[in-house]
Amino acid sequence: MGLLLAAPRLHAQTAPFDLPALAALLSTRKSAEARFVEERFVAGLDQPLRSSGTLSFSAPSRFVRTTLEPRPEVMAVEGNDVTLQRGGRTRRMSLDAVPEATALVEAIRGTLTGDMAALRRHYQPRVEGSAARWRLLLTPNSQRIGTQVKQLELEGSGADLRHVEVLLTGGDRSVMSIEPSDRPAPTRPVGK
Amino acid sequence: MTLGPSRHRSAAVLFAWALAMALCVGVIVRTPFTADLSAFLPAKPDPRQQVLIEQLQSGVAARTLLIGIDGGTPASRADASRRLADALRQSGQFEQVHNGVGDGFELVGTWLFENRYALSPAVAPARFTAEGLRDAIGETLSLLGTPAGNAIKPLLERDPTGEAMRIAEGLIPAQAPKVEDGVWVARQGGRAVLLAGVRAPGADLDGQSAALDAVRSAFTGLSAQNQNPGLTLKMSGAPLFAVESRAQIETEVKQLAIAGTLLMSGLLWLAFASLPALLVALLPVLTGVLVGVAAVGLGFGQVHGITLGFGTTLIGEAVDYAIYYLIQAQPQPQASAGPAKRGWQHWLATSWPTVRLGLLTSIAGFTALAFSGFPGLAQLGVFSTAGLIGAALATRYVLPVLLPDGAQGRGLRRVLGRAASRLVGALPRWRRSLIALGFVAAAGLVWHAPRLWSTDLASLSPITPEALALDASLRADLTASEGGTLVIVQGADVQAALEAAEAVGARLDTLVNAGELAGYNSVARWLPSTATQRARLASLPDAATLEAALAQASAGGPLKAERLAPFVAAVQAARSRAPVTIDDLRGSAAAPLVEALLLKRPNGGWAALLPLQPAPGKRENHHAQIAAALQGVPGVQVLDIKPELDRLYARYLAEAQAQTALGALAVVLLMAGWLRSWRRLLAVCQPLVLAVLLTVALLALAGVQLSILHLVGLLLVVAVGSNYALFFDMLVHGRQLDGSAEESDTLASLALANLTTVLSFGLIALSDIPALSAIGRVVAPGALLALLLAAAFAPRRRGAGPAGAVRGV
Repeated sequence: MGLLLAAPRLHAQTAPFDLPALAALLSTRKSAEARFVEERFVAGLDQPLRSSGTLSFSAPSRFVRTTLEPRPEVMAVEGNDVTLQRGGRTRRMSLDAVPEATALVEAIRGTLTGDMAALRRHYQPRVEGSAARWRLLLTPNSQRIGTQVKQLELEGSGADLRHVEVLLTGGDRSVMSIEPSDRPAPTRPVGK
Repeated sequence: MTLGPSRHRSAAVLFAWALAMALCVGVIVRTPFTADLSAFLPAKPDPRQQVLIEQLQSGVAARTLLIGIDGGTPASRADASRRLADALRQSGQFEQVHNGVGDGFELVGTWLFENRYALSPAVAPARFTAEGLRDAIGETLSLLGTPAGNAIKPLLERDPTGEAMRIAEGLIPAQAPKVEDGVWVARQGGRAVLLAGVRAPGADLDGQSAALDAVRSAFTGLSAQNQNPGLTLKMSGAPLFAVESRAQIETEVKQLAIAGTLLMSGLLWLAFASLPALLVALLPVLTGVLVGVAAVGLGFGQVHGITLGFGTTLIGEAVDYAIYYLIQAQPQPQASAGPAKRGWQHWLATSWPTVRLGLLTSIAGFTALAFSGFPGLAQLGVFSTAGLIGAALATRYVLPVLLPDGAQGRGLRRVLGRAASRLVGALPRWRRSLIALGFVAAAGLVWHAPRLWSTDLASLSPITPEALALDASLRADLTASEGGTLVIVQGADVQAALEAAEAVGARLDTLVNAGELAGYNSVARWLPSTATQRARLASLPDAATLEAALAQASAGGPLKAERLAPFVAAVQAARSRAPVTIDDLRGSAAAPLVEALLLKRPNGGWAALLPLQPAPGKRENHHAQIAAALQGVPGVQVLDIKPELDRLYARYLAEAQAQTALGALAVVLLMAGWLRSWRRLLAVCQPLVLAVLLTVALLALAGVQLSILHLVGLLLVVAVGSNYALFFDMLVHGRQLDGSAEESDTLASLALANLTTVLSFGLIALSDIPALSAIGRVVAPGALLALLLAAAFAPRRRGAGPAGAVRGV
């Protein structure tokens, strides 16, 4: 696995853990399956909105979010094509026709694939922490997106994305915890 | 000047001619001239294609302008796009302008929201039960906490079940242009794109032209203020094509007429060295053009600009009559028996029958075109037929009055005659080689046959390939393809058409959910049938029932029922609303969107159009699958626009081929009836067949695919060429091919006539209007070949010379 080869090089580095290092770490992962639990905190609602389901991605451009609870819903992105399934209905859209959706999809897809160019197109990225426990802060470049999305915080360990928090400008936010469901055994040592 | 025919008769002839010309001018000034693209669309499509043609002629497609802004930076383009769109919206010339800002929904948004319980497809009795409400509210809430949720949050208390969202879902197309900096841009970058619907009807070219000017001046205004120059405006679409081709036709027709007249005059001056002769020679041409235009005006109620363009081709043939007369009508010395003959009397006796036969053969050819399904070709047929008759009559009756002894000036006539005589002497030696060449050409064409004919309707289009390429690129940027699949349903009235559209929509939804189709557009999303709207409104419960269900649905949920009083009020208000009708929409922001998808047919019925958006990778067998899914819906048709138009063209090409073949057959029959000899007929037809074969082979070698217009050109080659061949026949059988001065004169007149034809069609071959240049490129080489071959295959009088040896080939 690519990860095994990448690991010694990462250990050899004495420089601080930066964006290229994170990109190199993330781009070793070509596909992944995970479970997620999401909570959205929306002003005016009496309680947070909880949902859960699975995430799946495979490089270079496929990303699927399947919500199982409380209602089944699928959002599949492949390249520029988006397919939405809700309430028994299927809709297709062009991703780049909706810039807000593009920005959010690229934040997660770009992180999962280590595509820093895609991230830089939409955000000012900032990296904190170490390979074992990193934090990626994304602030929208475009003023237009900035009026909707204040910041994204992505956290992970090694090549695994574990946590996504989206802060909207109105104060609403969503917090997603991710648990890899098909973790291959060799990824463990990277964190050590 | 001595008069030819009697003084009274002459005066009568001149008076009749002047009167006829005055009448023609009277008709012409009353005739509207058009230059829209309708001349290139069939007038009598089959019923399947009728709606499609109506749509192309006057529907939204005919009024949609595609706009691109190139150059500069992305930010400056986005800024220009916004300001241009604002300026165009304010100009009042456009009923809708889209550039991605707000998706153009802000104007209709309020209207949609007000009528959401009549328009939302989700409204049904089950939706307002406790269970249905919990489900619908849950679905709405699932969008909150995302950027998409920000749009619905302010509506939550009035529309917790998300009916507005549900309506919007149906209206957001599956394929849309990319949005960057808030405006539509090309996916490959470097361009901002806009779509504008012109308010003026498609047929109102002045209105379309004013709208184009509004875009240009708005854009110039932007560049003037803009700090960042270097932006360029790109436009395409039917309005631009129509307006530009009209302008192009107008200027080119003028230029061609002037250049043609000058060229012709120069040639005639060289030939006759006489001003009166020159002016007289142009008279049949003028007569022919006036008669032709007037005849088209009377027959069609309008004259298409392109017909005038073809008119310049008429100069080439009409001037031949004058040349034949002026050169051949030489006075004859007193013969042994009978009095001396004036030139015109001699010409009437010897040459006129041949010219008349040539005229009849030309008419036979062009009459076939008059029955064409393409208005442009039908006009050309009528124009040519009437014009040639007018020119021939002017030659026959008016010229003898003006110049009874033909042209007296010698000019280069002798030289031309001698050169032609030498050629006629030499050419027959090449017969065998020419026949062999003919066989090679025929064999080559048989082998090439599958690629010989263009099967594309665009081959008839007056639009240049560069303009079509820009159009294709803007269409791709705007995802506004013209070539997609269209479902058409028809009904006797608006309600029947809407109900049929709903039935089709229900079946298409199944295909969309199965992933077989990306989406579709339907008028029923904007304007459901009254029956559907009534059913939806009837499913809304009264306040007490709704409140009870709401209390149950929201128990324990994140959204308290107390907050939803505005929802209960909105539902109660909706219960007493009348269904939306097409009349309510008139003048509203939604009207253009509905009018684009719901058409009133000329026959009084209504048709709903449902353009389909194919799912990626599902193009194969698309048509059959959709047709199968829609089976049983009354009055439904599935059309693949591009193949359908090509089929249409193929049908008209076949029709034109049959008409041309009939025309050619009529030419041969006429000649057979006149010549009454198989041998002479064969001699006359041989060069014609060879000329056509070699011309087509030349075009094929040059990589030209033949269209209907090339076919028309070939018909002209046969028409003009038959005149040459008949003259050679006359020379032989009138025992004139004997080296006499008369032979030299006849040959000189043929050479001169041919020269004028080749030059005038050569001029047209240079035209930028594809329709004209196509004809020019066929006739110029074809006519030259026809003359040379007619000379080569002219039967010689027994023992008349060395060429006689190869007689009987």
